[in-house]
Amino acid sequence: MGNKITVVFGSQHIAIPEPVSFVFQTENEIITDVAVDVGYVHRGIEQAAVTKFKFNNVQYLLARVCGFCSITHASAYIHGVEKLLGVETNKKIDYLRTLVVELDRIHSHMLANGHVAEVCGYENLFMQTIKYREISTEILEIITGNRIQYDYYTIGGVSRDLTLENEKMIRTRLKELREHVLKLMEFFETDYTLGLKTKGVGVVTYEMAKKYNTAGPIARASGLKTDARAEFDFLPYEELGYKMQIRTEGDVWARNMVRFDEVLNSIDICLNVLDGLGEGDIQVKVKGRPKGETFIRVEAPRGECFYYVKGNGTKVMERVRVRVPTYANVPVLKELFVGSKYSDAQAIVLSFDPCLSCTAR
Amino acid sequence: MVKMFLESLKNLTSKPETKGYPYTPSPEPKGYKGTILYDEDLCIFCDKCEEVCPPGAILFEIVDVENNKREYSYNPYLCIYCHACVDACPKADEGCLVQSETRLPPLGRDSKVPKDKRLGYFVNRIEEAKDFDKKWDEFEERARESREKLAEHKKRMKLKKQQEAKAKKEAEAKAKQEAEAKAKQEAEANPQ
Repeated sequence: MGNKITVVFGSQHIAIPEPVSFVFQTENEIITDVAVDVGYVHRGIEQAAVTKFKFNNVQYLLARVCGFCSITHASAYIHGVEKLLGVETNKKIDYLRTLVVELDRIHSHMLANGHVAEVCGYENLFMQTIKYREISTEILEIITGNRIQYDYYTIGGVSRDLTLENEKMIRTRLKELREHVLKLMEFFETDYTLGLKTKGVGVVTYEMAKKYNTAGPIARASGLKTDARAEFDFLPYEELGYKMQIRTEGDVWARNMVRFDEVLNSIDICLNVLDGLGEGDIQVKVKGRPKGETFIRVEAPRGECFYYVKGNGTKVMERVRVRVPTYANVPVLKELFVGSKYSDAQAIVLSFDPCLSCTAR
Repeated sequence: MVKMFLESLKNLTSKPETKGYPYTPSPEPKGYKGTILYDEDLCIFCDKCEEVCPPGAILFEIVDVENNKREYSYNPYLCIYCHACVDACPKADEGCLVQSETRLPPLGRDSKVPKDKRLGYFVNRIEEAKDFDKKWDEFEERARESREKLAEHKKRMKLKKQQEAKAKKEAEAKAKQEAEAKAKQEAEANPQ
């Protein structure tokens, strides 16, 4: 028997930029018990969405739930409202939306992977990853006019069109990005010291992933076939060459590699979008106010995001309910800590890529 | 490991990836979402931009209730640069409401408040940067009150019009009655 020590990890900690609190009970280095609190950044956004904002303004509010998933939240809400209003978008709108959603996924995944490298004590790999991530944010800035809060989705369309000159530039830069990502993948795959910190650490087995209902790259790294992009047709993924990326190891390293695989797949989807982008309007006429209730499930970078939308025929929605992927992944995270070393805790948390401002809202 | 080491050495000798920002310029890219600029001569005062603005950064104050004269005001520090107002504006193609490609620098305690006719009336009337927020709160209240006043005025005018119409109708009815009575009298007075 060793010494029993309580270690507080968060709510302010240098490894996590967002406030989440873990209180670990440890015996020497091994964690024996953990308590989690995720509710530090509650801002009452769901309530504001049904009191202060009209239904055609709510997407701007929801985009500000989180910096990384901003397009996810706006898209989920708008897909829901379009379902209620019976709006049918054309091919061009769908393609442009897919382009921005996938670019958002690329930059989110790149940051998550870089972050894992950083907390493993590999800061130059973090810098390298961030350097290449800049390509995707620059493309987004040129397409949408903003770096983080794109405000690209509007009800029944998108806010601006792609010019021919930009299209050419995006194509060359995306190809450049693919080379860089392949190089980064090689570093992650072959590096010995990074492997010591990530391979075989924090293993989520297939049974665990299924039992705790995990979502996103965490589930896919354990071999669980779940992806809202494959199950629902909110955007035309099938014709754009979407492939589900599966790894079976279930450790920190596998989660990183699944993210890199998805980045490569997303780049392919973006290039296919540019190839297939035809002529058409970027805005469909919308009439009426939403009435009735519906739900929508979209794939955020961190997993499946669920929205429940209810309207009553007035200007203000009756209910907007958000359920985010990080919340679904917290139970398995808690289970993982028990029995692992405290020194691995940071890498495990960041390999889950937690987004607490989404979770608390 | 060796490859990453080589890459690190390469990075050591290559140029830095970042820009030396205050010394070298970092211009916004083409199509950047910046400040909203307004042209009063083209405006038709349909209030669509005010209605659609999510944070309420565009407000119209009704300065003359009787003639329904409005003044456009814009708070660039409350704006979220979402482009919704320009989408809603029916005269946007002609340049009534446009989104420029640069943003105003942040407002410090001692910095100068920007002066530009195209930013609307409110910003041009503020002198000191430190009371910007306070003045905007007061202005919001004033704009709301002016709107209520206009509604009251409209109600009053409607009532007045109704009363006038009623009086006119009554007068007409009375005149008609009198005329009929007169005709009847005349008919009774000379039955052929």
